[in-house]
Amino acid sequence: MKRKSFFKRFLTLYLPLIVILIFILFPFYWTFITSIKSDSELYGSITYWPKHIQWESYKELFTTTVDFLAAMKNSFIVAITTTIVSLTASTLASYAFSRYRFPGRKAMMALFLSNNMFPTVLLLIPLYTMMRKLGLLYKPQSLVLAYTTFTLPFSVWLLNGFFNDLPLSLEEAALVDGCNRRTAFFKIILPILSPCLVATGVYIFMTSWNEYTFAVMFTNKATRTIPVALKSLIGQLGVDWGLMTAGGIITIIPVCIMFFFAQKRLVEGLTAGAVKG
Amino acid sequence: MKKRLLSLVLAATMIFGITGCGTDSDSGTNSGAEEAQSTDDISPATIKFQYWADNTDYSSLMQDIIKKFNDENEYGITVEGEETPWDGGGYSNTLFNAAMGGGAPDVATFKLTATPMFVNNNLFTDLTPYIESWDDKDDIPDNIYRVMREAGGSDSSLYLMPWNTQILYVYYRPSIFEEAGITEIPQTYDEFLEAIKRCTMDTDGDGETDVYGFGMRGGSGGQEPWGSFIHGKGGSFDQLTSEESIQGMQDFIDLYSNGYVPKTATSDGFQETLSNFKSGLTAMFIHHVGSSLGLEEELGDDVAAFMIPKGKGQWTSMGDTETVMFDSCENKAAAFEWMKYLAAYEGQKMWCEGTGQVPVSQSVQQGDYFQNNEFMKVSLEGIDFAGIVPVKDTTTEWISNWPAIISQALTGEISAEECMEQLDQALNQ
Repeated sequence: MKRKSFFKRFLTLYLPLIVILIFILFPFYWTFITSIKSDSELYGSITYWPKHIQWESYKELFTTTVDFLAAMKNSFIVAITTTIVSLTASTLASYAFSRYRFPGRKAMMALFLSNNMFPTVLLLIPLYTMMRKLGLLYKPQSLVLAYTTFTLPFSVWLLNGFFNDLPLSLEEAALVDGCNRRTAFFKIILPILSPCLVATGVYIFMTSWNEYTFAVMFTNKATRTIPVALKSLIGQLGVDWGLMTAGGIITIIPVCIMFFFAQKRLVEGLTAGAVKG
Repeated sequence: MKKRLLSLVLAATMIFGITGCGTDSDSGTNSGAEEAQSTDDISPATIKFQYWADNTDYSSLMQDIIKKFNDENEYGITVEGEETPWDGGGYSNTLFNAAMGGGAPDVATFKLTATPMFVNNNLFTDLTPYIESWDDKDDIPDNIYRVMREAGGSDSSLYLMPWNTQILYVYYRPSIFEEAGITEIPQTYDEFLEAIKRCTMDTDGDGETDVYGFGMRGGSGGQEPWGSFIHGKGGSFDQLTSEESIQGMQDFIDLYSNGYVPKTATSDGFQETLSNFKSGLTAMFIHHVGSSLGLEEELGDDVAAFMIPKGKGQWTSMGDTETVMFDSCENKAAAFEWMKYLAAYEGQKMWCEGTGQVPVSQSVQQGDYFQNNEFMKVSLEGIDFAGIVPVKDTTTEWISNWPAIISQALTGEISAEECMEQLDQALNQ
């Protein structure tokens, strides 16, 4: 009986899980082994584990003109700053949209939404001209500003939904207990909202971490970000797969670590009840 | 009340901040009949130079050339190199967007195919007066200037400064030719096809092909070697739907469907065809001198070359890279000094020797490095009939769509005729 139930469980749970995991993880595995294969093996017959492991590609990534370390540093600066700026602005804005009733509220929300309907590439030339005139071109600030313009509307809508779902009674209780709006916001609303902030923050971080079109226009050699450095490995004559995959692997490590912690916060937030009693 | 006042002041500051910064504007127009600044006008200046590098070695080489020019030029010109990814041709779009946004570099490396987009928007400086007053202008053959003029769409204006060319030919493995019993290199297009068939062999008798006759490039950039098959049967780019062009396409499909090329050919790009050739999986593949250095290092004597032979017609692709000067450049005479350095002097020599590309400068061509190089000589055999895919507004898009259309034909989803109709529509209509 026990054996039968295990078999059933295997068929209904573990087997589908394994199949899905293979689909999800195999590309990462393939990227990794490609990065440690020698050139002759890379383009020869297909091998599922390299015959000769070599770490040359990783070494080259940091010692040649690719200068991956600088690109990583720039990407971190841009992605973290954008996350802070965009998250702060969108939290405050969506709180206002959710809690206050003022003329033009709906129109402004609609305007935010319509902004997202245009392909971001349409903003490229106008933003480029603005950055140039403001003297921000080729500085990380230009990317932070550009990324904020297209992460902000979506974040505001996302957080606005969370705020609307949050019962007003929580804030009212805090106000009755002697808090003012500001302290109620910081002491009651923000802690409850933290999982939502983490989710929005992750969205903003990922968007700015992976963005290429603006990055290639707004940066120069000193301020290049990872996507641009990776693209520079695709020449006219072909792709340097070894370097490209090594770069890909290094790029996902910090993101994986971040997700590891973010995931914990997300689960915490989901299980914590909002209104008790 | 206080709050309202504060928000008004903030809004006003923001508006002023944005609009106030936008007072100076560029005209962005091209006067056309501009007079050249003479060498007397050259003052110490900084020239912004944008380029792409196809690999990390090329990138280091370009930085060395820039450094040498900066150290040695007599006018105190400083070139600041800015590398931008090639990005599958997206380089031209990035350059275009920057130019339209008012932030063009002074000089940039360039591909002929993107010329119409820039010329139609008056973004380039007409180089004619500068070249006219250049003493060594005859060092570059007239026919190269002619191709540059045609690409710019005008007989009188020259927007592109020749830099280097790459002429495609066939690399082959003499050892495989010997094994297949081929004693002479193919002299005609039909012999070439026959050689491909004979070199396809099952060497260990397990019933599977171990050596393929030809490394077909069905992926990105494959239109260049493909063009030789179309012309070999008497077809042309102008008449892609002619009977001859369709027959050429059919030859191409037959090579794939009959198993004379690797099965991965539908997506193979340069790197894949090169590696298959190096590993001995293929007996022949088409590329230019750029590969010769690496191939000789890897294969020693077991690599040789011949020009794509003549059938009803003969054509090989002439790859090109030029430099352009933007109209917004303030120190045009200084910028032209840098362009000259790349086209004819030490910069030309260093780049072509380092990358193995065919120099446009005839005096550099006479150097020992080029005269003693078998592959360079084969390249020069093609100089009379080498050409480019016609430069039209549609060309860039046609090139990027080419692999998808061809792979449908190779896998039998569409016929040779349908394939050529689609290609013709995309390029010529």
